Amino acid sequence: MGDLISNLSLGFGVVFQFVPVDVPGIGVVPLPMNIFLCFVGCLVGTLIGVLPGVGPVASIAMLLPITFKFDPVGALIMLAGIYYGAQYGGSTTAILVNIPGEATSVVTTLDGHQMARRGRAGVALGIAAIGSFFAGCVATVFIAALGAPLTKLALIFGPAEYFSLMVMGLVFAVVLARGSILRAGAMIFFGILLSTVGTDLETGQERMTFGMQFLSDGIDFAVLAMGLFGIAEILRNLDHTEVRDVVKQAIGRLLPGWQDFKDSALPILRGTFIGGTLGILPGNGAVLGPFASYTVEKKLAKDPRRFGQGAIEGVAGPESANNAGAQTSFIPLLTLGIPPNAVMALMVGAMTIHGIVPGPQVMTKNANLFWGMIASMWVGNLMLLVINLPMIGVWVRLLKVPYRLMFPAILMFCCIGIYSINSLPTDVFFIAMFGLIGYALIKFGFEPAPLLLGFVLGKLMEENLRRALIISRGDMMTFVERPVSAGLLAVAIALLAIALLPSIRKGRDEVFVE
Amino acid sequence: MAVDAERSGTPGGFVRGPQSLVSGLVLIALAALALWLTRDLPQGTLRAMGPAMLPRWLAIAVGLCGIALVVAGLVRDGHQLEGYSLRGASVVVTAILLFGVAIRGFDFQAFKVPTLGLMIAGPLAIFVSGFATPEVRARELLILALSLTGLCMLLFGDLLNLPIPMYPQAFADLYPAGWSSDGRLRMTAAVFLGLAVLIYLAGRRTASREPIDVVPDEHAGTV
Repeated sequence: MGDLISNLSLGFGVVFQFVPVDVPGIGVVPLPMNIFLCFVGCLVGTLIGVLPGVGPVASIAMLLPITFKFDPVGALIMLAGIYYGAQYGGSTTAILVNIPGEATSVVTTLDGHQMARRGRAGVALGIAAIGSFFAGCVATVFIAALGAPLTKLALIFGPAEYFSLMVMGLVFAVVLARGSILRAGAMIFFGILLSTVGTDLETGQERMTFGMQFLSDGIDFAVLAMGLFGIAEILRNLDHTEVRDVVKQAIGRLLPGWQDFKDSALPILRGTFIGGTLGILPGNGAVLGPFASYTVEKKLAKDPRRFGQGAIEGVAGPESANNAGAQTSFIPLLTLGIPPNAVMALMVGAMTIHGIVPGPQVMTKNANLFWGMIASMWVGNLMLLVINLPMIGVWVRLLKVPYRLMFPAILMFCCIGIYSINSLPTDVFFIAMFGLIGYALIKFGFEPAPLLLGFVLGKLMEENLRRALIISRGDMMTFVERPVSAGLLAVAIALLAIALLPSIRKGRDEVFVE
Repeated sequence: MAVDAERSGTPGGFVRGPQSLVSGLVLIALAALALWLTRDLPQGTLRAMGPAMLPRWLAIAVGLCGIALVVAGLVRDGHQLEGYSLRGASVVVTAILLFGVAIRGFDFQAFKVPTLGLMIAGPLAIFVSGFATPEVRARELLILALSLTGLCMLLFGDLLNLPIPMYPQAFADLYPAGWSSDGRLRMTAAVFLGLAVLIYLAGRRTASREPIDVVPDEHAGTV
């Protein structure tokens, strides 16, 4: 407990640090640079995230270059701010326009948009922000408390355990993906296959590079993510010419009334718990949080018929779960070095650019960075509450910008963003190619998210598989003989078996249809 | 890729799920490609894995998923293939390629482009990509292209100092020798923004009868 407090105070010390900055015209002034970066991150994150059809992955990929100039701590604080901003922006769009920016805000559209149509958009946005803030506070303490013990756990993990953990994560991703399990599985395999393109680290031989030099380093993650989630999304949106359903009703007051608070207090608590727990799971467990929370609230409600008609519990619970999960999904990355979803994979990319290798050693070697980032999560959540609610008018204006003006701007930001990462024009060409591939995959009924996760974990998996097999002298039994590894694999097999059972499969389809 | 696909499968016949069938065939083709590309690489043993071991087994897994999808397409009723828009895809890809070619110059055998920088690449990408939708309005797009490029120059070049080429050397030489590079950049951005405002104002005067809706209502959005 004492450790927790001293660690958190170290973190807040880093966040509130005053840095001497040379302001032109005034001279060198000490400024709270990290707070400022957190603020800017939240603001621009929301700005981009609020645009319909731009999810957190595309937002972060686009905004990555603006963090290059700062020191690693500042850059990561800013990135985390962008992430929360984009998440919150997604919820705003879900409530006001009925377009979920990403999978986790799908549930918010159900009751949030209905509330907006009944002139209670302000209350819906308010309770979403308050619920998210509460969830964020709890999740911050949760991460701080779990961080240290989990890091110790990581030290007893060998290559075999790492490999089995990633297998379990991928199985989770398959089970949680929308649509058929077969298709999600195919995308995971394809993703891992793409990750093997490039020079083989152990033998130095080139694999599947077509003899082209720019492929010998492998496919860049940011390029793949930007193509699949940025460009492909534009192409898909261009196909639909349906009407954008921005609420015409007034936003109304933002502060929920006493009755609203009473109705949403318990859903927020439950949502925080559900989302926070699921968020730790590798394989994008955070996606499940809002769905689970919504189902629980509907089951517990005295009158379940109100759900889908603008029930405030249906916004408060899932939004809290969403934010709690968004935050606790940092845990696998910070403690084990395994990114549980695409957003965290981008964080890996960002950390690598700043010379930090994510994993258990971050906490010991870069204590400032680790605890500073955790403290900044709390600050970021507070900023969302303080800056975003008063700015709601601006976001509504932004939502009304027609798509014919929006996509050229998104496209240019994608191009500038990807070019500035490596200064390579070939990267720009590649986002066009992956955009086309992503568009084709969507048309064929595949989801790009599992592909990206397979790609992210592919390199790590191959490395650990090889190491484990070298240690065991080529004996595959090592994965079942080591108890931790065997346990993880057993969970994976059990999950897959459950998901394939006909009765559960039906239930799963229903959850996703909702 | 999608462009090669049939626009829609024929309902009835022995193909019951055209989308499954075609997507399965695509997976099989990808698997075959990967197997062909790794044909010369040693697989190694479990004890000392060679470079081809994992790709080869993954390709086989992808291929098996493909076969399963083909079978599903023949046996079970499924979705039709979705339609696609050639215009959107081709225009957007062209715009991105133009940006890539112009930003730092391009030199591939007989095809040579000098460094044109963001000054040219930005407006080019925005203006061309705008034509991906049939609702394109050229003047509006021109304003967007100029103003956004100006802002991006200030943001990425001046404020964040990212190493992005801003304009061709010949253009920089047009400024008097005494100007600093920051001054040149700011001036260029100001000219872009000024032009955007001018075009906006000019349009307003000529069309003052009917208000142009730069922020039109929801009926115009296409998402």
